[in-house]
Amino acid sequence: MTDSANTAEELFGQGHAGCKGCGAAIAGRQAMAALGRRTIITVPASCMATLGGGNTQTTWRTPFYHTLFECAPAVASGIRAALDIQGVKDVNVVSWGGDAGSADIGFQSLTGAAERQEHMIHVLYDNEMYMNTGGQTGSQTPLYAITTNGALGKKVRKKNMPAIMEAHGIDYVASANIAFPADLIAKFQKAAAKEGFSYIHILAPCHRGWGIKPDQTVDIARRATECGLWELYELDQGRRTRTYEPGLTPVADYLRAQGRFRNLTDAETAEYQAYVDAHYGGWGGKN
Amino acid sequence: MSKLFITGSEAAALGAKLARIEVLAYYPITPAFPAMERLSKYIEDGELNARFIRAESDHSALAAVLGGSLAGARCYTVTNSQGLLLMTEVVYHTAGLRQPVVMGVANRALSAPHSRFPEHGDAVSQDASGWIQLFCENNQDVLDNTIQAFRLAEELRTPVMVNYEGYIQSHTLEEVAAPDQAGADAFLPLVRRPALDVERPQGVNTVTSPEFYPSYKYSQNEAALKALTLIPAIAAAYNRSFAAASCGLLEAYRMEEAEHAVVAMGSVVATSRILVDELRKQGKKIGLIKVQTWRPFPAEALLRLLQNVRYTTVLDKNIIFGVGGALANDLKAAAYGRLHTVINGAILGLGGSPCGAREIKEALEQTEKSEGGGNRSVWIGSDPPAGGTKR
Amino acid sequence: MAFKSVPVVPAGEAGALAAVADNRNQRLRRPEISDQTQIDPLTPLYCPDGAIALTAGRYAISERLCKGCGICAQESPGIRMVPEYTGPRGILN
Repeated sequence: MTDSANTAEELFGQGHAGCKGCGAAIAGRQAMAALGRRTIITVPASCMATLGGGNTQTTWRTPFYHTLFECAPAVASGIRAALDIQGVKDVNVVSWGGDAGSADIGFQSLTGAAERQEHMIHVLYDNEMYMNTGGQTGSQTPLYAITTNGALGKKVRKKNMPAIMEAHGIDYVASANIAFPADLIAKFQKAAAKEGFSYIHILAPCHRGWGIKPDQTVDIARRATECGLWELYELDQGRRTRTYEPGLTPVADYLRAQGRFRNLTDAETAEYQAYVDAHYGGWGGKN
Repeated sequence: MSKLFITGSEAAALGAKLARIEVLAYYPITPAFPAMERLSKYIEDGELNARFIRAESDHSALAAVLGGSLAGARCYTVTNSQGLLLMTEVVYHTAGLRQPVVMGVANRALSAPHSRFPEHGDAVSQDASGWIQLFCENNQDVLDNTIQAFRLAEELRTPVMVNYEGYIQSHTLEEVAAPDQAGADAFLPLVRRPALDVERPQGVNTVTSPEFYPSYKYSQNEAALKALTLIPAIAAAYNRSFAAASCGLLEAYRMEEAEHAVVAMGSVVATSRILVDELRKQGKKIGLIKVQTWRPFPAEALLRLLQNVRYTTVLDKNIIFGVGGALANDLKAAAYGRLHTVINGAILGLGGSPCGAREIKEALEQTEKSEGGGNRSVWIGSDPPAGGTKR
Repeated sequence: MAFKSVPVVPAGEAGALAAVADNRNQRLRRPEISDQTQIDPLTPLYCPDGAIALTAGRYAISERLCKGCGICAQESPGIRMVPEYTGPRGILN
């Protein structure tokens, strides 16, 4: 090992205060590789907000603002308005929420900004539970997953956020996965070129919440896409394209490898498999 | 200067327009909405070059103008009552981030029970938020204070709330003298201090440890205290520029040799003036102190005026349950060990209930009856009876 | 108490953490590059800490930034994890 390797300045991630093997930090690094230096990023309460800096030091080399929980897209709307009025055109405005800050407590401001077709990108980095408070169940927690306040597993399905965002008629909707960085980066580049609202939903495992080892963060994420539970696709001006064709491995390869699904029965695994078989490609398996 | 016949809502909107606000966001609420509609019309008519964000909630409205401010724009919003309560989290946050946002508040009573009528309960709920809070007696104050609020906010790097009462001010026409645009521009030079700037990146609102947190709060408090000298200075500059009569922290009205002082804020000041004139005609040594700046609390200026006063009646259109009216409470705290006056806090006008000369007079009488009887609030109005609560 | 000198707007200096971070005490294992030719070029993008970079045609891992998560070794056969501490162990081990 050497210390010369970190002489290259990264826009985000070096020295962050997150856990080893943090999926959120991987998502952030990949996204910033696409977005570049002229980006203002707002992050509501989340691991991503707190790991980015403490006191007078931050890991971000772009303007970063840790917003209140409910309102990152609203703040971003205001930032865009302020840039517009000052004639600044070449800056990306991004709000970057976790699953809670986007789909749950932050949903109101997200739907508001999307409906207004604000010129911005909203990212949902999804670790499928409320990890910044220790791993409680939220709307993005998948069926049967065990959490710190749901030892018996979640009883209902994950809310389909990309479909909800698609219904806003925004410029660009995409799913992404930290195990597919080239795909992720290409999607951020597309989103950054849009004049209106873009939504990118990134699967970013949290090994602590998922009951996997830190070094499995990327591998497990990859399995989610390979088994068909996390389809990689985009809706560019409403036109749907699958951006990666997986082998569609058995869902068990993904589910059984995780502690949060340790109580999954064979019947429940089969239910998951049947769901993927029926719905891969969108609701009703349209693609 | 030009004379206009406008509502308080129009005065607020005009103040923001003369300040050339750049980012506006709001979520409609009664009775603040006419100010919002007027601002939107200014923008649509091309009279105001601002970006409007049609927020989907009051919380997001303040969050959006906060974002605008962090990115260097001059920002404004308007709300009241439930909207202000929903914003509360952002209200505190904005002050902590030291952003010079100006907000008009068309004061209205809080639910429950539901009421859409004027009261100061909403503003009082933001007591400890760190915002400068100005209260307007009339529509002239609404205009003057809104314009001055931007200079104050930007010099102090602290947000300012301009309170004017729902209906009594927001929907009532009064004659107002307005500065011209060139004068307003000279009074309010735009200095941008973007905290979010790609040319000078930094991380705003990082996780702050106990070593640092008190330092930020200390500097926030210092800024609030500095407002006590800055507000009169800005008012003096404003009065010079526009031949206006803005009072800054507070105004003493007929306090010469007064034995009994009325202390009040908001529209009830205007009513009190009439009553004081009337009582002075009858030979009563009574005066009035208009508290225009409530946060920070101008304790010293107020105490100076009350040195030789025997009775003080504080009119509060708000109630802090189990404590009393906010203004009376502040004055009692400030006066402790410093004044010998009897301070009687009177609660009146809640939820739009009557607070005319008759009610104020009743409050004064209660005060003079209560000499030596301790400092507790009396409730003024026909029902419940003064001095007690009704089951 | 002694007050800190703080900016008016609560904020931290951009990129400052990269300069001061020292993650060595988080590692039980450390990545070791055994074969430069067997490193997936995407590996730097999988690293959560920006600790591995390709400079002048060679991959190098930062001693200071690496937290020892092992993702790079999972993704690249040319990297393997070795124990951070190889000295004598106490009686409990």
